[in-house]
Amino acid sequence: MSQSQDLVLSIKGLTTNFYTYEGVVKALDGIELSLKRGDTMGVVGETGCGKSVTAKCVLRLIEPPGRIDGGQILFYDRDPKTGETQETDIVQLTPLEMLSIRGNRIAIVFQDPATYPNPVFRIGAQIAEVVTLHQDLGREALEVRIKELEESLKNSPSPEHQAKIREQIEHYVSMLENPPKPDRKYARKAAWAKAVDMLRLVRMPSPDQIANQYPHELSGGMRQRALIAMALACNPSILICDEATTALDVTVQAQVLNLLNILKKEIGASILIITHDLGVVAETCNSVTVMYAGTTVESAGTKQLFENPVHPYTIGLLTAIPKLHENKERLDQIPGTVPNLINPPTGCRFHPRCAFATDICVSDRPSLEEVLPGHYVACHHPQGNL
Amino acid sequence: MKLRDFILRRVLLAIPVIFGVLTITWFLSYVVGDPLAMFITERTNPAAIPGIIQDHGFNEPLVIQYFLYLRTLLAGDWGVSYSTGGDLPVLTVIARKFPATIELAIVAMVFAVILGVPLGILSATRKDKPIDHFTRVFSLAGVSMPIFWFALLLKYVLFYQFSVWGLPYLPSGDRVDNELWKTVLHNGVGYDFTSSITGFVLVDSLLYGQPILFGDAVLHLIMPGFCLGYLTLAIITRMMRSSMLEVMKEDYITLARSKGLTERIVIYRHALRNALIPTVTVIGLAFGGLMSGAVLTETIFNWPGLGRWATQAILVSDMAAINGFVLLVAFIFVSANLIVDLTYGALDPRIRYG
Repeated sequence: MSQSQDLVLSIKGLTTNFYTYEGVVKALDGIELSLKRGDTMGVVGETGCGKSVTAKCVLRLIEPPGRIDGGQILFYDRDPKTGETQETDIVQLTPLEMLSIRGNRIAIVFQDPATYPNPVFRIGAQIAEVVTLHQDLGREALEVRIKELEESLKNSPSPEHQAKIREQIEHYVSMLENPPKPDRKYARKAAWAKAVDMLRLVRMPSPDQIANQYPHELSGGMRQRALIAMALACNPSILICDEATTALDVTVQAQVLNLLNILKKEIGASILIITHDLGVVAETCNSVTVMYAGTTVESAGTKQLFENPVHPYTIGLLTAIPKLHENKERLDQIPGTVPNLINPPTGCRFHPRCAFATDICVSDRPSLEEVLPGHYVACHHPQGNL
Repeated sequence: MKLRDFILRRVLLAIPVIFGVLTITWFLSYVVGDPLAMFITERTNPAAIPGIIQDHGFNEPLVIQYFLYLRTLLAGDWGVSYSTGGDLPVLTVIARKFPATIELAIVAMVFAVILGVPLGILSATRKDKPIDHFTRVFSLAGVSMPIFWFALLLKYVLFYQFSVWGLPYLPSGDRVDNELWKTVLHNGVGYDFTSSITGFVLVDSLLYGQPILFGDAVLHLIMPGFCLGYLTLAIITRMMRSSMLEVMKEDYITLARSKGLTERIVIYRHALRNALIPTVTVIGLAFGGLMSGAVLTETIFNWPGLGRWATQAILVSDMAAINGFVLLVAFIFVSANLIVDLTYGALDPRIRYG
């Protein structure tokens, strides 16, 4: 794929294996994925095709027995102040360097809002935690301090006292330009205020109250919003939604998707939506990457992909969606099942289930080629209108 | 408000429990057991026996005896312990001996908690590494070794063998080295727990302003304290390890990691508090257990506490003492349970009282 585009994330040949007792599970085998700045990309595929593993690799959250064995995850982070772009290969970072990216420059929202928030901490504290961790709250802490002084000015009894407070305020205002390291008390207050702001940003009713509540006191949709607020708290470049709406009921799901659409414009993050729901993709994404058994099979603009799917697997996926105006006895399905990744099929991993497979599909692995402008496919026998 | 109601309700609910305990012990000691055994020996004049029966009210019907017992108990009279020198009231004996037992139990608990919790965490976070194997063997030994055997083993090595080898050794028993106390305090008595200030040697030695005596008290506490606490220590370690392993698999740990927190904070802030919840149950119940465990430890280390007193009372059928001891242990168990339940609420906001 060309380098000239303004990319924010580029995954090249990513290979991840899990070393289990039964054998080596080749979970990812040469994943290719490019996310443009400001884009929303959907990553789709069946259960077990490696979507979530890809997401975890981007954050380097793969735990033993899993291991990233090859490839690059290039992250082009743009400094919001200088506008300079810096290229980092996430695979090469040390665990310590990774800590400053995780939750800060790249954030993730997980699937199940019931189990992901820590049950023993208040929502506000959990958001404030990530704020204090990654942000230098010097200025915000000063602002909190000034605000408090202004409050006390109103209730001040004597003119001398008032003059004293005014002096203090001026002192702190002069420091605003070049804020020192905040002291803990005010940093905590500033972080909490930021947490409340984030809850307001995700359209939470009465954010002040919610911040003081525990996860079990909120509904699933609200918890998911709180998790989104947590992920967005540090203005990340990339937001990964790993099946973020799967566990929600349909109406709440629509609200959350709608929220993501609005937020994308407000915060300017690029979003990677991992899902098996093509409806979610159609609603929110402008490009799609289709994965199959640990490989990338097709990647294109959403409209392009839905109108003109090229890879037989994508075609199968799209025809498997039941349509309202058709009257069918039996729903379409792709024959066979997802292969065992300990012994994956040779050549194209889809060949045992593919109607167009020939000898070359069994022996050679197809590479990802651009068949139409911006439309990439890894197939020896691409279908559709080319 | 709610919390107060909860405590009140729990205290009221404790009444039937305590009542049940004292009824059963009364029945076992005065009806099934022979309350006369304490007063009649082979040298008692047979002609005096009816008088003895009369004196202690054993000629009354059992129901009357039971209600009389309840009445005196409610009036604050727990009877007289005839097996103690000077025929002291049970409550006085308890007041004198309780500090020794509590002091020992607290030291045991301190050993168990400050070693058990970190060992459990270490073992879980370094699963299948050498430290984990060591911890597992260490805690398995703790739950498997009988306390009396372990106590003798400790004494054999730390007291006898160390003194044979000429190493600094630990005292083999007693709360204090009384000769030392006599010399330091110049009172000719040494440590007299019937007239001491608090009854806790550690506190008293400091109140006397004598660091040497404090050191002596500490030395005397190490062996019996560890011995009594080892079982609890082992249970806490195993509990902490398994619940920590469980918690580390939870989704909120993945979330904490995805925030960019260091592994240290993930473990000590996010995992520990969740993992402590089951451990607290064990700690609370163990504290009650330490009271009964103290019976063996106190006997072996010649510790003048309640456990030894109760053992002696059982041997000579001193019914009032037995009943008093069991009642006290019941009180301790009930309060420990209440404290555990209150701690849950502090640890886990999902728990509400009502």
